[in-house]
Amino acid sequence: MTKKEFKKLFHNKLIILDGGMGTLLQKLGLPSGVCPEEWAIQNTELLIKTQSQYREAGSHILYTFTFGANPIKLKEYGLSDQTFEINRLLALAARKAAGDDVWVAGDISSCGSLLWPFGEIEFEEAVESFKTQVKGLLAGGVDLFVIETMLDIQEARAALLAVKELCDLPVMVTMTYEGERTLMGSDPVSALVTLQSLGADAVGCNCSSGPAEMVSLIAQMKPYARVPLIAKPNAGKPRLEKGKTLFDMDAETFASYTTALVEAGVNGLGGCCGTTPAYIEKVAAVARDLKPVKVERKPYSLACSNRQTAAIHPSLPFTIIGERLNPTGKKALKEALLKGDMETVAELAREQVEAGAVLLDINAGVPGINEKETLVAMVNAVCNAVPAPILLDSSNAEALEAALRIYPGRAVINSISGETEKLEKLLPLAQKYGAMFVLLPVDDHGVPETAEERIAIIKKVYDRAKKLGFNKEDILVDGVVMTVASNAHGAKEALKVVAWCSGKFRANTTLGLSNVSFGLPGREAVNSAFVAMAMAKGLSTAILNPNNEQMVQTVRASDALMARDLNAVNYTSLYAGQKSGSAQPQKEKAVSKTLYEAILSGSRESAGELARLGLLSGRTAKELIDQELIPAIQKVGDFYEKKQYFLPQLIRGAEAMEKAMEVLTPELVRDSGDQPHQGTVAIATVKGDVHDIGKNIVAMLLKNYGFKVIDLGKDVDADSIIHAAKTNNADIIALSALMTTTMSQMPLVMDRMREAGLDIPMMVGGAVLDKKYAESFGAHFSNDAYGAVKLAKSLMNSK
Amino acid sequence: MTPVQVMRGLKPQYNKRLIYTRLGYDRERTSLSPELEQEVERLLTLTENTLNITAAYRMVEIKRIDSPAIVLEDDTVLSGVRLAELLDGCDQALLMLAAGGSRIMDLIHRLQEENRMSEAVVVDAAASEITDSALDIVMAHVTTLLRSRGRALTSMRFSPGYGDFEITQQRDFYRLLNGEAFGITLNEACLLIPEKSVFAIAGIGKQ
Repeated sequence: MTKKEFKKLFHNKLIILDGGMGTLLQKLGLPSGVCPEEWAIQNTELLIKTQSQYREAGSHILYTFTFGANPIKLKEYGLSDQTFEINRLLALAARKAAGDDVWVAGDISSCGSLLWPFGEIEFEEAVESFKTQVKGLLAGGVDLFVIETMLDIQEARAALLAVKELCDLPVMVTMTYEGERTLMGSDPVSALVTLQSLGADAVGCNCSSGPAEMVSLIAQMKPYARVPLIAKPNAGKPRLEKGKTLFDMDAETFASYTTALVEAGVNGLGGCCGTTPAYIEKVAAVARDLKPVKVERKPYSLACSNRQTAAIHPSLPFTIIGERLNPTGKKALKEALLKGDMETVAELAREQVEAGAVLLDINAGVPGINEKETLVAMVNAVCNAVPAPILLDSSNAEALEAALRIYPGRAVINSISGETEKLEKLLPLAQKYGAMFVLLPVDDHGVPETAEERIAIIKKVYDRAKKLGFNKEDILVDGVVMTVASNAHGAKEALKVVAWCSGKFRANTTLGLSNVSFGLPGREAVNSAFVAMAMAKGLSTAILNPNNEQMVQTVRASDALMARDLNAVNYTSLYAGQKSGSAQPQKEKAVSKTLYEAILSGSRESAGELARLGLLSGRTAKELIDQELIPAIQKVGDFYEKKQYFLPQLIRGAEAMEKAMEVLTPELVRDSGDQPHQGTVAIATVKGDVHDIGKNIVAMLLKNYGFKVIDLGKDVDADSIIHAAKTNNADIIALSALMTTTMSQMPLVMDRMREAGLDIPMMVGGAVLDKKYAESFGAHFSNDAYGAVKLAKSLMNSK
Repeated sequence: MTPVQVMRGLKPQYNKRLIYTRLGYDRERTSLSPELEQEVERLLTLTENTLNITAAYRMVEIKRIDSPAIVLEDDTVLSGVRLAELLDGCDQALLMLAAGGSRIMDLIHRLQEENRMSEAVVVDAAASEITDSALDIVMAHVTTLLRSRGRALTSMRFSPGYGDFEITQQRDFYRLLNGEAFGITLNEACLLIPEKSVFAIAGIGKQ
């Protein structure tokens, strides 16, 4: 079967696939604990008879019974060396069952072990393993391939590459989703984009869930699908009862979801675990009267990682490409790369994504470095650190291929120019791995001065790419920014290219923005002005420093002005508290009107500022504390007790109080000579216990409710606690323990206190404690942090 | 028993509501400003990106169950009435480990040192929940492996420290899953360091 025939098969018609085989054969005698494929070969007649039932039920495509017939999985049964023959024989069996009018798909599934980085199997080992299986299936005469029940997109890629590198037959790939993601974290759109770009001829989902759940998965993929979508659900969600897995959905109900799946955009339908030929017959009967729906495909450029897709288009919010993973001119990164320090790379990735970068540009170009190894290591580090997709910024074909091969998503090559060597080497790479690319309008004669000359190169490169199957959504055209300090028209020419691309040519664009301001003072202002001008011409993306707040705010403002951020919703949410005239956005919004409100809303910045203003207005520190802070913090506690606030709000109130007290305490000390407090508490987490966040929260609240706190830390022995309490004249000892194994330290401390003649109350808390236990050795118990404050107050009052 | 299998760099799906619940959020009564909600979301993303979750598992034969004692193939005895109920009818146990790594603890400590306790408490709760959710990945992966062999996994799992399944039994998990190989230490009180590490057990039986 050719890819063209496959495409034609799905034209204006719903294709019926087969149903469950494993669960069906188990009912027919396949025992547990044996190799299912070996058993099937020993029972070929039964296998063929069962598969034939699917043909009779209306299946257009039968899957070979080779789900687990890869060498890694067959190794469990000592059959690894028979991989080729097992696959060949089972393909021949399916051929017999299929007859002349039904196609046979060679079935490949997970090797059962996880691929790196999740597990121990190297990517190339998986590719080679799948190739052995593909060869057997080809020898058995399959018409096409199906890769199914994949939990990890990287393993699906390995199998897809194995098929692609051995033949030109069509390949369908279906992933298995737990809810809205695969087990290893891929969402349906990222999986679709990755697989269809890499050359899958149909993409979809199978197993794990029933047809109802798959409606949503198909609907999510449809607007981005260039290929037919297929669904093979289970007969409902499996349920474990008395040690047995049950599938509850009957054939009638199963088939009743066919219309919904078709309306969501499915083109091929079948069944997985728990389904039988009766289910497929019912589905085929419903599908006979239906046609696949045509959904207008979104005209976006799509790059993705294994966990996230970035959609790029001038109508969408501007796409920031983080530039900070390029060592050019960055000494610290250069040194980190030379040392192989990938934690620095991961940290830079995290910082940029947190600041708003949607894609990250990755460059390993350091003189004397092994670019191939470094680029691959950087890709792995970034993939593990953040979900943002990447641009591979290199012209080294070997390094690019190594990175593209292991990247578990759809990367963007930055860049491919009109230079003969680059066209010949890099364009086929982009094609093989389904990468997008930045089209750089430069040729063998260098960078053209004028926009017109650049446009001619863009057309030439695109024509070449089009012949390899690329379309305009697969490219980002670089306008090429020259520095205006040496070329007065450099910015204008780049803007003309951007305008032509987003207008007449209808392709997405990018700019390496900071080039424009080299050699000029106030570069941020120049860059910001330029990005706003380029966005007005339709610029889709730019490579810039997302941690530059002025630049990012200009981008967000331009989004709002160009209706790319409708009603400025995003802009408002980001900059709501910014005062007019302020050059920098404020991270925390000083919007509270009174000190009382600032504490209540947990606004740290406002609290400090309003305390200062309170003093300036002539009020004393004591007045501010008595009239505003104390009533406010008590109200916060009251809200927490009534569950109107949750723990972070309680703590934020205390943090705001702390900020105000930082301002007021020096005044208070000046007025009264000392800082008054409600009592002294020596607090510690007991010996052996390393969990201290609960103790730290209590310590902080006690401080802000007016106690002097001696914090002894965690894993503190009894003698140190008693010594500190005595030395500081503590009124109370407060202890925390999180585990049953450490709470037994508390009575020991009490014993030592008695031995040492220290007659002060002990209060205790921690996840496993209760009042009864505390009272058993004479301690007082509180079950949460605010309760501890109230308990401390009551202990002081009863002194 | 099967060799210890390792899964690295896991990015589990998790239930945000459970994190809010850990922090005392009450759906009916607690009211959050949009800014605070956004801040919590930011901290959840930060936690996701800072965690470096490794999981490990191995399957062990169950010799016999004599509630509350569960005797494993190497004569390790686990004890718990509800655990014995969970494993009733199972001939194998799945022992699991998930560890969030040291970087997340560094972040939690740093936030506390910088007096950003309200942020620390959210990251701490999120890290616990997300790390625990990595065990869902282990269980789903093992379920897939077992399905083709006609075997199944219990849908529930237990961790030492819950009910009468004593925390001291972490010692057996630590030994059987070779916790040291994952950079985890077990202190005298049977606490795991780094803190965001968790052991669990589920049962395996016929489908």
